[in-house]
Amino acid sequence: MDFFNTIGLNHYLVISAILFGLGLFAIVTRKNAIVVLMGVELILNAANINLLAFSKYNGGMEGVMFGLFVIVLAAAEAAIALAIVINIYKTFNTVDVSSIDSLKE
Amino acid sequence: MHNLIQLSIIVLLLPLLSFVLLIFFNRRLPRNGDFLAVGMLGATFAISAWIFWNVIVVGYDPAFKLTWNFNWIDFGNVPGVGPLTIKMGILIDNLTAIMLTMVSLISLLVHIYSTGYMAGDKYYGRYFAYLGIFTFSMLGIVLSDSLFSIYIFWELVGLSSYLLIGFFFEKDSAADAQKKAFLTNRVGDIGMLLGILILYSQFHTFGYDEIYEHIKAGDFHMSQAWLTAAGILLFMGCVGKSAQFPLHVWLPDAMEGPTPVSALIHAATMVAAGVYFVARIFVILTVDALHVIAFIGAITAFMAATIAITQHDIKRVLAYSTVSQLGYMVLGLGVGAYSAALFHLLTHAFFKACLFLGSGAIIHAMHHEQDMRWMGGLSKKMPWTFVTFTLATLALAGLPLTSGFMSKDAILAGALGFAEVEGGGIYYLIPILGFFSAMLTAFYMGRQIWLVFFGESRTHLKPAGGHDDHHEHDEHGHHEVHEVPWAMRMPLVVLAALSVFAVYSPDPLDGAKGWFMHLVQTPETVVTAGMVSENASAHSVSEMQHETVMEESAADLHMNEVVADENVTEAVHSEIDGSDHSAAATHANAEEHAVTHNAEHDKLHGDEHHGPVFDDPRQAAIAHATHENHDPAIMYSSFMVALGIGLALIVYAFGFIDPEKTAQRIRPLYLYSYNKWYWDEIYDATFIKGSLFLSKLLAWFDSNIVDGIVNGLGALVRRLGTASGNFDHYVVDGLVNFTAFFVQTSGAAMKKIQTGKVQTYLVMVLVAVTGYIVYYFFQLMP
Repeated sequence: MDFFNTIGLNHYLVISAILFGLGLFAIVTRKNAIVVLMGVELILNAANINLLAFSKYNGGMEGVMFGLFVIVLAAAEAAIALAIVINIYKTFNTVDVSSIDSLKE
Repeated sequence: MHNLIQLSIIVLLLPLLSFVLLIFFNRRLPRNGDFLAVGMLGATFAISAWIFWNVIVVGYDPAFKLTWNFNWIDFGNVPGVGPLTIKMGILIDNLTAIMLTMVSLISLLVHIYSTGYMAGDKYYGRYFAYLGIFTFSMLGIVLSDSLFSIYIFWELVGLSSYLLIGFFFEKDSAADAQKKAFLTNRVGDIGMLLGILILYSQFHTFGYDEIYEHIKAGDFHMSQAWLTAAGILLFMGCVGKSAQFPLHVWLPDAMEGPTPVSALIHAATMVAAGVYFVARIFVILTVDALHVIAFIGAITAFMAATIAITQHDIKRVLAYSTVSQLGYMVLGLGVGAYSAALFHLLTHAFFKACLFLGSGAIIHAMHHEQDMRWMGGLSKKMPWTFVTFTLATLALAGLPLTSGFMSKDAILAGALGFAEVEGGGIYYLIPILGFFSAMLTAFYMGRQIWLVFFGESRTHLKPAGGHDDHHEHDEHGHHEVHEVPWAMRMPLVVLAALSVFAVYSPDPLDGAKGWFMHLVQTPETVVTAGMVSENASAHSVSEMQHETVMEESAADLHMNEVVADENVTEAVHSEIDGSDHSAAATHANAEEHAVTHNAEHDKLHGDEHHGPVFDDPRQAAIAHATHENHDPAIMYSSFMVALGIGLALIVYAFGFIDPEKTAQRIRPLYLYSYNKWYWDEIYDATFIKGSLFLSKLLAWFDSNIVDGIVNGLGALVRRLGTASGNFDHYVVDGLVNFTAFFVQTSGAAMKKIQTGKVQTYLVMVLVAVTGYIVYYFFQLMP
């Protein structure tokens, strides 16, 4: 079984897909806005893994550079998202995303 | 323009001005403006008298004639008709001048009288305004020079008589009477219009003179029967206006008007208009038309006289007497006694106006009591009225020394002459009816005088309650009866004075010696074509005549006259027999003779009778026979009048015969007369019921058939409307509503998936992306 003997590109991609799936699952199912944010982080990192993996097997530095960008973006996003969550809490007195449905109106 | 024409236009317009001023401003003027009306009429009369003076007294020329006209409307060249212009104008001849003066004088007297009679009436000013327009219309008729303008004024007279007869319009009877008068007149006017149109269709002109010339020139291209028809149709206008049988029914009812109006309408103006009109068209009347006219006149005279003897209402007696006298005039025209008929028109106008105004004075004094049964003994209380009324009555009855005697006699002589010329037989009915009516006239007027003025006052005999339909302050007959004021007495005196023979002729037995018969002479007929049948009768007559002339010529005082007639007779002979005499030469001789005769006549100024000389053999024969019959006519009529008055005295003055018992004995006849020959009932049963039935029929047709069609169409349209509405409601609206409903329901369904929760959206995106990927991979699979 070649798949288990040598670690190749597919392994990275599988890990990345699992991570993406977990992240998505967290975003869809969790009620707490913080946990939803954590799911987002997972998805971002799944994408990072993909970028780096393709970069390694393609032999260029573009993937690494994109990875760095995504990390920076994630940090910025986390900061903004947390600020939003704080404002949501101030407005609705809760961070339960299932009860925040004022978009409906 | 001749200054007489100018004056006559002023005469015509003054009463109109009076009408216009009074109808608009009578309430703002002092005394409601009666002084204005009287003043205007005074001016009218003064100018008329000036015209009379110039034409009659100064001129004294039988052939005087003055015309003036202008184009009133010019229609240009009308397709199918030719050049069409309508002219208006004025014609003044002796007859016009006399009529003008007569009408304006009587109108003036009526105006003056009315200031007394109508004093205190609610519509006093309006009354004088109506009198003004009436006088205007009548003067218009007199001055007209064409059939067109006379028709206009004819209708105006109809209108103003309608206004005046119904002056007390608050009374139902007056309102009915005015309608009756107007409608009855319309019947005659339709005939007149048709007659005018027949003549117009032939000659394309309305002017009298043009029409006469055309007919004389033989331009009438249809058969003689059409000319007869035109004459009779034109005469129908006279039948309506002059209340001839069978359209006489309106006149007695028209007594509902104020009494001075009765005097104006029924004595001087409106009824005279009909006779005047027939006189104007006299020359175009064919022999057949003249016969019809003569018989209508005779029947009218007799019928009305028989009715008058049983009436109780003082005005009704006079009304029927008027109808009867108009019958005389029409009879006179029909038999060719043209100047006699017009003479009677003039004399009758004065004495009948006097009688009406006198009866008005009596009614006024008796506090609106009109029934002669409750009068009596007024001669001492009202001496002025008594004397004038009696004088006029004598004139009406035709006693010698009065005007009525002369004129009635001339007509009766004409009727005798006519019957003789026409060959006797049925034509003698006309003079016989005439003489009989003369007797009846004397009888009913004697009865009236006696009932009103003599005996004891019978006011207390009047049954209480009874018929209080006259006036509001009616029920008391026990007021003091008093003579009327001077405003009402003066006209009576003037009119009574005009009923004396001396005004008209120096010889009380012969009106033909007077100025009237000299100035208004029978005109020559213009109908000559197709007279062949007449020649035969003229022949036999002239033969007979010739002999008479020969016998009498030596003894006859009127030498010239006889010679003139003989010449004519010879002219007739020569025409028919074709003897050696040259007809033209003889005729010229006759004319020459007539001219010299005229000259002599002017010198003698009415001392001698002479008639015009006729070319037409029939007219010449009648003129001669009339002259022959003058003395017998005087004899017969005096006898009949004496008989009538004697009978009246026997019955009412001496009481030898009790009128009540006699009436009971001949009850059917009495009722026949009292109920006016049942003409009203007959008309009611035929024309009125008939037209009501026709109206009902038409109303039924209208409400069932016409309305049915309309309603059916309506219903149909309504059905269509409902159907279209339903289509709109269900189909069109349904589509729109369904669209809305669909959008609404689908929106309601769709809105459920919009939860507002981020996670749901994310799941949807996930599902969609997953679905897409699955789809994509299925696509890739072979």
